[in-house]
Amino acid sequence: MGRSKAHYWFVGPAIFLMLLLLIAPVFVAAALSMTDYSLGNSGFNWIGWENYEKLFSRRSYSKMFTASLTYVLLVVPISVALGLGSALLISSLRIGGELYKAIFFLPVMATLLAMAIVWEFALNPIVGVVNDILRSGCDKSAIYALLSGSWLGYDPLDSWYGSACEKKFPLWLGDRQYALGTIAFIGIWQAFGFNMVLYLAGLTSVPRELYQAAQMDGADSAWERFKLVTWPMLGPTHVFVITISSIRSFQVFDTVEALTEGGPSKSTYVMVYAMFEKGVRQNLLGMGSAITIVFLIFVLILTLVQVYFVNRKVHY
Amino acid sequence: MAGIAQSGVTKSYGGQSVINGVDLDIHDGEFLTLVGPSGCGKSTTLRIIAGLETQSSGDVSIDGVSVNETRPSLRDLAMVFQSYALYPHLTVRQNLMTPLRLRDLSFWERFPLLGHLLPSRRSKMVQIEKEVQIVSETLKIEPLLARKPGQLSGGQRQRVALGRAMVRNPAAFLMDEPLSNLDASLRVHMRAELSALHKKLKTTFIYVTHDQAEALTMSDRIAVMMDGDLLQLGSPEEVYQNPQDIRVAEFIGSPKMNILPGHCDEFGHITCAGLSLDGVLANPAPGPVSVGLRPEHLTLTDAGAAQSLSGKLTYKENLGSDVFFHVTQEGSESAIIIRAQPLAATPQKPGDTLHCAPVPGKPLVFGADGRRLDFNHVASSGKLA
Repeated sequence: MGRSKAHYWFVGPAIFLMLLLLIAPVFVAAALSMTDYSLGNSGFNWIGWENYEKLFSRRSYSKMFTASLTYVLLVVPISVALGLGSALLISSLRIGGELYKAIFFLPVMATLLAMAIVWEFALNPIVGVVNDILRSGCDKSAIYALLSGSWLGYDPLDSWYGSACEKKFPLWLGDRQYALGTIAFIGIWQAFGFNMVLYLAGLTSVPRELYQAAQMDGADSAWERFKLVTWPMLGPTHVFVITISSIRSFQVFDTVEALTEGGPSKSTYVMVYAMFEKGVRQNLLGMGSAITIVFLIFVLILTLVQVYFVNRKVHY
Repeated sequence: MAGIAQSGVTKSYGGQSVINGVDLDIHDGEFLTLVGPSGCGKSTTLRIIAGLETQSSGDVSIDGVSVNETRPSLRDLAMVFQSYALYPHLTVRQNLMTPLRLRDLSFWERFPLLGHLLPSRRSKMVQIEKEVQIVSETLKIEPLLARKPGQLSGGQRQRVALGRAMVRNPAAFLMDEPLSNLDASLRVHMRAELSALHKKLKTTFIYVTHDQAEALTMSDRIAVMMDGDLLQLGSPEEVYQNPQDIRVAEFIGSPKMNILPGHCDEFGHITCAGLSLDGVLANPAPGPVSVGLRPEHLTLTDAGAAQSLSGKLTYKENLGSDVFFHVTQEGSESAIIIRAQPLAATPQKPGDTLHCAPVPGKPLVFGADGRRLDFNHVASSGKLA
């Protein structure tokens, strides 16, 4: 009896589609990154590593890497910490937990582009609600004293709030110093609810008896039990949450496109926005592909780190 | 070592009462077993002693000192959980060290990294290592010290859980069905080991189980609980031979005690399934009663014998050392179980009609409320003329 060939027909379509839609484009991009091709041109020249040389030598691209890495390093730790903190608080609630879950999860479900526009209004330096609120505290002595630190005896003009009251409040998205921080803030606001849900799921899988064993063993304070049981038992969740958050923050695009378009002076020129600007706006497909390949390598490294940790450190 | 006392302890969850006033006086160094079917409140009782749950009312005291307001770790008790509850991310050695680290090291000495700089930590850690070593030698788990719980078999995990309880030299051990996750042969083996350990440590053991065999084999005393009530507290022999309640009689012993409906007349004589029993009730209470007969208290008789029950053999259960006959009487749904020696049990086949009679003096009589009645054996004179 000959062996049936049916299995090829089962896996064939999936493999074919994966090659066509996922693998092949990566190779096409890798090839294009070695050319000066533009859409609409009839031909192109092989220019070797020239695009990559530009990428690692020109100032605007080093600003791109700085912006992307700063964004990731701001958003990942803060959104993970907030996610874990809020999950722990919510899971300790007897009533009202569902309400908080819904509130914190709302930004995750909302369309980021629409939310970005709302934030743009809120952050408008002249009519925005953020600066309005900040400004309204300047002539209320108690709030002024608290925020400027003068109640502790410091000179109010040395503090951020005191001097801002004296001169003016930041332009936020229009200010090179604040723009990336503001984008990161929106990113955190949007992402931490997702991390919270992942941590809540992780917390439910921690056996109750472990907490009771810890109590019997003498872990009296909540902090001791957190250190002995909760934190280590969440190991697999940590790895997943951190990896997902890192990859998602590398991918930040909507807010940058809607609010700053990479500016001011390229302070928010993150990688995916650079890809879009070079490859689509300026029709420099070669350069865009080169950025894409570097981006892919970053994501690949993150994924490998995750695989390493899943296999080694957090495997009980 | 300590004596533990509970008085009038009740517990209810949202209006649903799970323990209705339990009084227990556990002696120093005693092996006491709380036994009962699942949901009877035995685990809750243990958790209240441990301090993991707070009683709704009543008092718990250890060595005469009330511990109602004392947190679990300060009660100086150690607990072995059904799931073992070992810390999966720590090695066996670290698991054993955890209770000692939490008890002996100060907050700063336990602080990650910084703690290692404190000079006082070193000598304490040496002491802790030594105690872990002693316990692991006692339990023969030294080769496992570097492994993690995930790499151990069920029996090994059980030992480690026991070790983690032992390192602190607690005043008493609380065990919540510690053997129920083991396979049958290992369970029997661990029963003997736990008994030996109790003799060696001479510490109070409070042991919760739903398995009456575990309770009978290991305990000094057994507390039988059902539906949140403590029904009987006594030695295994007493609980087996002298059950004070029909529920205790049915729960303790395997196979179950046979319960037959009977009737009491105004003189205190009992008739049951066509037999009149040799004996008389001390306080005659005419009306229906239940007669309990253990399988070993029925003997096979010849066909013509007076005072015998007869029925059809429906099932013959051969355990090697004993044979149990399940005999169904005519017009009755449930079977009577009779124990016989294997040699005496060869000829009978399912479908045969068997005859049996109770061993004089052995039937137990329970009133309509399930309480045991005082039934005195009077040799053959009990029959009405």
